[in-house]
Parts: sequence; structure tokens; C-alpha cells
Amino acid sequence: MLTQLHNVEQSLNQVILGKSSQIRLALCCLLAEGHLLLEDLPGMGKTTLAHALANSLGLSYRRVQFTSDLLPGDLVGMNIYDTRSQQFRFQAGPVFSQVLLADEINRASPKTQSALLEAMEEKQVSVDGETRALPTPFFVIATQNPLFHAGTSALPESQLDRFMFRLSLGFPDHQAEHQLLQRDSSTSRLELLTEQLNTEQLRALQQQVPKVAASDALIDYLLALVNSSRHRSDMLPLSPRASKAILRAAKAFALINQRDYVTAADVQQVFPYVAEHRLAPSSDAQESRLSQILLLQTPCPI
Amino acid sequence: MLTQQMQKQKQLLLSWAAIQFSLLLLLQQAFAGWVIAIFALLLLYRLLSVFKAKAGISLKLVNLLAGIIAITFFLQLRQAGVLHFMLQILLLAATARLLALQHLYEARQLVWVHYFLIACCFILHQDMLIALFILLVFAVNLYSHYRLFSPPVSRLNWLQAGRSILIILPLWLAIFLLFPRLPPFWQIPNANIASTGLSDTLDPGSIEQLVQDDSLAFRVEFTDTLPPRQQLYWRARLYEDFDGRRWQVNALRQNASRQRAPDNAAASKDSSLSYRIIAEASQQTGLFALATPVTSSSNVFISPSGLLSSNKPVSQRLSYQVSSSLTPVVLVSEQEQQLNLRVPPGNPHTQQFAYQLKQQYPQSHELVQALAEHFRQQPFYYSLTPPTLGSNSIDAFLFDSRTGFCSHYASASAVILRHAGIAARVVGGYQGGNWHPQQGYLAVRQREAHAWVEYLHNGVWQPFDPTAAVAPDRILDSLDSALPEDERALLDPGWRQLVLLQNLRQQLMHLDYYWSVWVLGFNDNSQRQLWRTLYRHLPAMAYSAAVLFSIIIVVLLYLRLTQSGTDNTPQATKQLYRYLGKALATKPLSLSVSAFLLQCAKRYPAHDAYLKQLTALYEQALYKEDTEALNQLKQLLKCHKAELGRLRRAIKNT
Repeated sequence: MLTQLHNVEQSLNQVILGKSSQIRLALCCLLAEGHLLLEDLPGMGKTTLAHALANSLGLSYRRVQFTSDLLPGDLVGMNIYDTRSQQFRFQAGPVFSQVLLADEINRASPKTQSALLEAMEEKQVSVDGETRALPTPFFVIATQNPLFHAGTSALPESQLDRFMFRLSLGFPDHQAEHQLLQRDSSTSRLELLTEQLNTEQLRALQQQVPKVAASDALIDYLLALVNSSRHRSDMLPLSPRASKAILRAAKAFALINQRDYVTAADVQQVFPYVAEHRLAPSSDAQESRLSQILLLQTPCPI
Repeated sequence: MLTQQMQKQKQLLLSWAAIQFSLLLLLQQAFAGWVIAIFALLLLYRLLSVFKAKAGISLKLVNLLAGIIAITFFLQLRQAGVLHFMLQILLLAATARLLALQHLYEARQLVWVHYFLIACCFILHQDMLIALFILLVFAVNLYSHYRLFSPPVSRLNWLQAGRSILIILPLWLAIFLLFPRLPPFWQIPNANIASTGLSDTLDPGSIEQLVQDDSLAFRVEFTDTLPPRQQLYWRARLYEDFDGRRWQVNALRQNASRQRAPDNAAASKDSSLSYRIIAEASQQTGLFALATPVTSSSNVFISPSGLLSSNKPVSQRLSYQVSSSLTPVVLVSEQEQQLNLRVPPGNPHTQQFAYQLKQQYPQSHELVQALAEHFRQQPFYYSLTPPTLGSNSIDAFLFDSRTGFCSHYASASAVILRHAGIAARVVGGYQGGNWHPQQGYLAVRQREAHAWVEYLHNGVWQPFDPTAAVAPDRILDSLDSALPEDERALLDPGWRQLVLLQNLRQQLMHLDYYWSVWVLGFNDNSQRQLWRTLYRHLPAMAYSAAVLFSIIIVVLLYLRLTQSGTDNTPQATKQLYRYLGKALATKPLSLSVSAFLLQCAKRYPAHDAYLKQLTALYEQALYKEDTEALNQLKQLLKCHKAELGRLRRAIKNT
């Protein structure tokens, strides 16, 4: 199954050029059953990445453009009175999909944002007292513009915490962009993506993640890393949920790298993307300054 | 990262420049003016280049510059003296290094040279406040040493620093107490500072100037009780030559002062008084004692006429033990008597007055009594600002102005006595002192300077203080109470009257006293005494040492046991550290061991295969907690000791 996963990775690299590490981290997030927050300027390929992921994994994909007048009902769906059958019928919203691209999440009102985040956490939605389970796997890729853009309301710290990873694609390098311009159209490439890994295989891979071994010494190192954030005034402390997320992400990362044990290097690799938005919600995703400080200052004895 | 590095470099450069400036300030006594100017210019240049963010000067230029300056220093070697020359060269080396500094790692030796120079400051300074300042400079240097090796963002852990200071404290004390006090390897040259205190000539104005000086002359600790104030006449100088205007120390005396007095310790032991004097630096050889000193510690000499002196000018605080017999000094020779009968011509009224007295009172002690009575009953005044006297100064004083200071009275009395055929001389010294009961010492300041008379009677030099007759308060209380109100202000400038400042000065003086007694006064003598005491209590010491030692061992064992419970370094890591500890010490703190090993594999292709194998096994053993892999790792480490050795050396050398 891992070979299939690597096929997925390869084909994704065909669509989004020069961003192999971000693609690997995005897959890692998917395997760890976390949700992904992409923070970037418009036009950097966020949507393409989400779409390509859904296509190559054979998942159902919906996209919601968040605006300031988007209501929770527009997202989760609502009961509509059917005049013919004289009954209320549930009209499922876009949230009932396996990959949901929530575009520009910071443009919506806090009410709508929290409806989505609740769905992300519970993996179910309640409409008019009736609870409906969301499909599995349920993977949200939210994008947001950097906060200084006009007409945005920032996600509060408590809700940023729901996203396991925060990534930034960033500008492609010269060679990649050159190649990009030479191609006729990337959407056609997107169409070419075929399903390389079906849902069952993905589920099986996801279930392997917790089984990846993490030794005591490694967990001690991780705790030292997390602890070092807890006695400082220049950053928010990392919560136990954060440490859980870091370990799970590191395990997924180890799995992608074809290992059945987590190394300190795995933790160090994923740490900036899992921790930075929890340490400083308003920080720049590309820089991850605070997590680099923590990494540098925490001795790694193993 | 880069900016932080730059920031750190700037900070360090500034602190080193500050250290060198302070060193220049502390060592300025050893340097001539032009030397100081050269150093100040070099350092200023460095400071400017730091602020303008320019790099240091090129090494070639600095070498050339330092070479030229060193040669100039060498040419002046004869004037400066070897010690000063060495100090100059050391400071030059440090300054030149700072000027040429491009990278921080070049500064490692610089910090050590600073330590050495800071220690050298103690050659020139023993004062407590200056010692504090030197300690501060030392602390700055220590901190810069720490910063030199610390990562650019780390902060000093004060708790840990305090703990290490506490740990080192007993060792420091032990070294201070037990390290042998070696005599200096070189002659410490005398600094060119004006001498203070009484001089070899006594003219009417000299003591008046001295009493306006509030600085300390010496301090006395009495072994028993404090004698009454009337007995506290500290003899320092004998003035035996009078030229009609000023008194001078006889040239013969100056040479004779080196002789040791015949040891007459047996005489009158019952009335002897034992005390310790801590004399301030005065750049003179003359010292102080009460009445007839009988025995003294080996660092001072007693001259036959009962004066104390050291063998070289007192350039540092000097402490010595004396015991004095409270009897007048004995006449040394016939020559001494003849010396003190000479009278210069002039002063006819005085001469006549002396003859009259002589006829009235043939006995010398009666005559002295009558003279005291004369001073007491006639309107004589005690004043700091006497009118100027004409050519017959004694006449003018005795019969005209009748206003004067102790030196006037002493001088006039001695002249009268000499005219009356009694050998007499003026003694310069100090009278009284400020008793500090809590600290248990007597502080004698320059303002306690005094002059009185000694006359020969029955073969001994009887002291006679005419001032006591005129102004008994001066003797019984202090100078302040003997003077009229308006003249007291002359002694006390405005700021000195502030109570708070006065208090602070007092406290500082006391502290300074303890400093000189406990720190500076701890010489080889006291050390020997300490050893002797230790030796006497040897069995008790051994027992307590054994008990202490066993307690420490128990505590260490306990810590070890409890720590092994919490020490969760994994086996695999322990194994690697056992064989590669020194190499792993160069690992960046935040890098994981396996990542470091893989880096090494890339850097040393010769060991590539071995390191990769090692890393794979290590990861298996550590992260999977695989015991089989652990055993293999042990085997792999054990069987390739030679390769490991080569690897260690290769890693350590980069």
C-alpha cells in the first residue's frame, strides 16, 4: 500500500511542481487523520493541491467559497419541506464529502467558522436535533489569506488548534514556474489524475499510523520540546492536544518514509508545521520562527 | 541567526573594550602619560569601528603598529622598570588582538590575557573599593568568556551560576587561607606619589595644613584596654635642628634610624602596652609608636631614640605589632644632649625670659611647671589662623601675638628650655584619635597631627606638652572643641557636616578596617599561626573531616541511586557515548544523534559505510527498543575500536 501512496505522491508532484516537501507533509496530515490549513496568497495553488489530492485518492470532493454572508446552514445543509411528499427532507450541505476545500475560511463570520470546526472535531453534524455522521475519511483543507488582507476575521486560537498542520506553499522556484508556463493548462493535468489508492486502502494506512513505534526516549524528547514552550512569555504554551498531534504527525511521517518507528528527526521535521500556529496564531506560516527557536534551544540527547 | 550573531559580536567587542579601558585606568600608575595616550587612542579607534560596524584593522597593519609601539616601550625600559614594561607589553598584546579581531573564536586567548592583567591590578592597588571595582571587571570578563562560547540567543541561568559560585566558595577560601604567601618575584617600583603626613621639617604652617586633612593616618588595635587620652602621644619625628624659623630632623638621625635599639625588653615589663598599628600608605619610612617601644614585629625597626621605621617607604598599607613601655625615652649619648642645647642667635626677649626663669627655678622640672603656668595664666590663645610673625618669630609669638597652634607653643617652649640650659627638642606626631568602641580600634587621622616638647631630666626625655596648658580640651577631647566656633568651620567643609554622608564615610572606614585586618593583614605570619592551630586540633579535625567525608559520600550515593531511577538515557545512547563521547560532544545541541552520525558519514567518506551501519542499528535499538539490534550495536562498537578512534580524532579536529 505504501507503494501506492508513493505513486500518489509522484503524480501530485506532476501537477504541483517543485513543492515535494509540502506535498509529503499534506499526505502526512491526511494519514494522521488531521485537517490541513493552507495559508497563502491567492493564486499559489492551494485549490489545485486540494483538488489533486481528492482526485488521486478517489475521494469525493466539494469546495465551498467562504464569504462574510455564508450561513452555517449553507455549509451543513438543512431540512427542506417537500410539498409533494408533504415531509421535511434533509438537503445535505457540502460538508458531506470526503475532502472539503474550505476556501478563504477567514472571510466567513465566526458563527459559520465554528460550525465547520465543530464538524471537523466531532466528524458529525446536528441539524434540527438530528445527528448525522459525516463520511469517512473526512478531510478538511482550509485555506486562508494572510491576515492583513481586508475583510477577514481571524480564526481564534482555540479553533486554529483543530488544524493539525498549517502549511504554506510559497512561490515556486524559477525552474518549476518555467515548466509550469510551458504547459498548456494545469486543469487538464488535474483531469488526468487517476485513482491510485482507494478508500479502503487509505483507511488501512491510516490505521497503521498509531502502530508506528515511539520509544520512551523519543517521547521524553518530544515532551522536553513541548515543555520548553510552557515557561516563556513570548509564545503561547503548547497544549497536550498539541503534543498528541505532534506525535501522531511524526508517526505518519515515519510511515511515509517507510519506517515503523519514529525518530527524533521525524519530530523535528513535522514540529514547525504542527506547532507554529499554536505558538503564535498571527505568525507568518512561511517563517515558523518560534518553533525554530524551540528546536534550537531544546537539547536532543538521543 | 546572523543578526543575532552580529549583535553578540558587537556586545562582546564593547565589553572587551570596556575591560581594557578599566585596566588602563587601574594600571595608570604604571604607565607614563604618552603610554596612556597611545592605549586610549587605540581603544577609541576600536570603539569607533564597532559603532560604525566596520571590521577590525588588517592583521598586518596591527602587527606593524604593535611592533613599533613595543620597540618604543623597550627603548623606555630603563625609565619604566621591568614590571611596568611587562604590564605595558601585556596590555599592548590585548589591545592589538582586539584591534585585529575579525572572528569571535580569535578572542579565546584574549580573555585569558585579560584575567592575567586583572590579577596584575592587585600589584598596584589594595584598597577595598578598588578591589570591588577589580572584581566587577573580572565579572564582566567572566561573563564575556561565557558569552564567547554560548549560543547567540541563550541567556545565563543565574540560579545555576549562583550554585556554581557556592560550590567553588570553599575552595576559594581554602586557597586564600592555605596557599603559601610567596615573596614577590620582582621589586615593586615606588609610584611617584607625593608623600603624606608629617615631613622632615616643621615650620609654623605645616601642621595647620595637616589638620585640615581628614584622611586616615593609621589605626590602632590595643591588645588590652584603651589607655587614657592623655597618654596617646604617637611619636613619629624628632626635630632637633632649629634655624630660628623652622625645625628640622637632624641629618645624623636620619641615618641612624636603621639601627636596632638594644633589647631592653626586661625593663619595666609591668607597665608595657601591646598594640597593633595599621599604617596607611604614606610613601615615607617613618612610623608611629607610643612612648618607648620595646619590641616590634620583624617588619619594622626601632631606633635607639624610640622611633619606628620600616626599611622602605610605606607604599601599601602596613600592619605591625608593637609593645611599648610607658616610660619616657632614655638618653642615648652625650652627643644627643649636646645636639639639643644649640640655640640660634636672635630672639633676645625670649633669651632674657629664659634666664629669669632659670634663676627663679633652678630645677628643670620646676622650670617646666612654671612655663606651663605662664602659658596658662597669661592670655595665650589657641588658633588655627595665627598672625604672621617677624624675623624674631619666638619673641613675636611669646610677647606680642600670643596666638598660635601647637607647633608654635612647642617651638617656643623648646627654645626657652634650651636658653635655660635644658636640652629640649620638638617631637612631631599625632595626639589622641577617634575611638570606635564597636569595632574596637582607634582611628588616627592626619588632623590629629600634633607637636610637643621633650626635655632632658635625670637622663630621660620627659615629654612636655605646652598646648595642654593653653588648650586642655585639645588633649582631653579633640581638636574641634579646642578651637573657637568660627575656626571649626575651617576644618569641616560644608558637605562633611551632612549627617548621612558622615555616617556613610564612617561605615566605609570600618569596612575598610576589616578589609585591612582580615584580608590584607593575612600574611605568612598569620598563616603559620593558622597552621599551628590546625595542627593542635589535628585529631578533632581528622574526625570531623572523616565525618564530613562520609556524609558527602552517603549523599552522593543516595543521589546516584535516586538518579539511576530517573536517569532514562536509553542503553543504545549510553553505548554510543561510551565509545564516541568526545566526538558527540561536538554535536550541535539540537541535532539528534543519528542525524549527526549521518552528517559525519557525509563529511568523512572513509567512514561512510561503517557510520551508516552504526546509525541503522542505533535507530533500531533506540527507537524500536529492539534488544537484538542493541546487542549488534554493542558488537559493532566493540569490534571496531581502531576505526572509532580514527573517527573520534577526525571529528574532534574539525
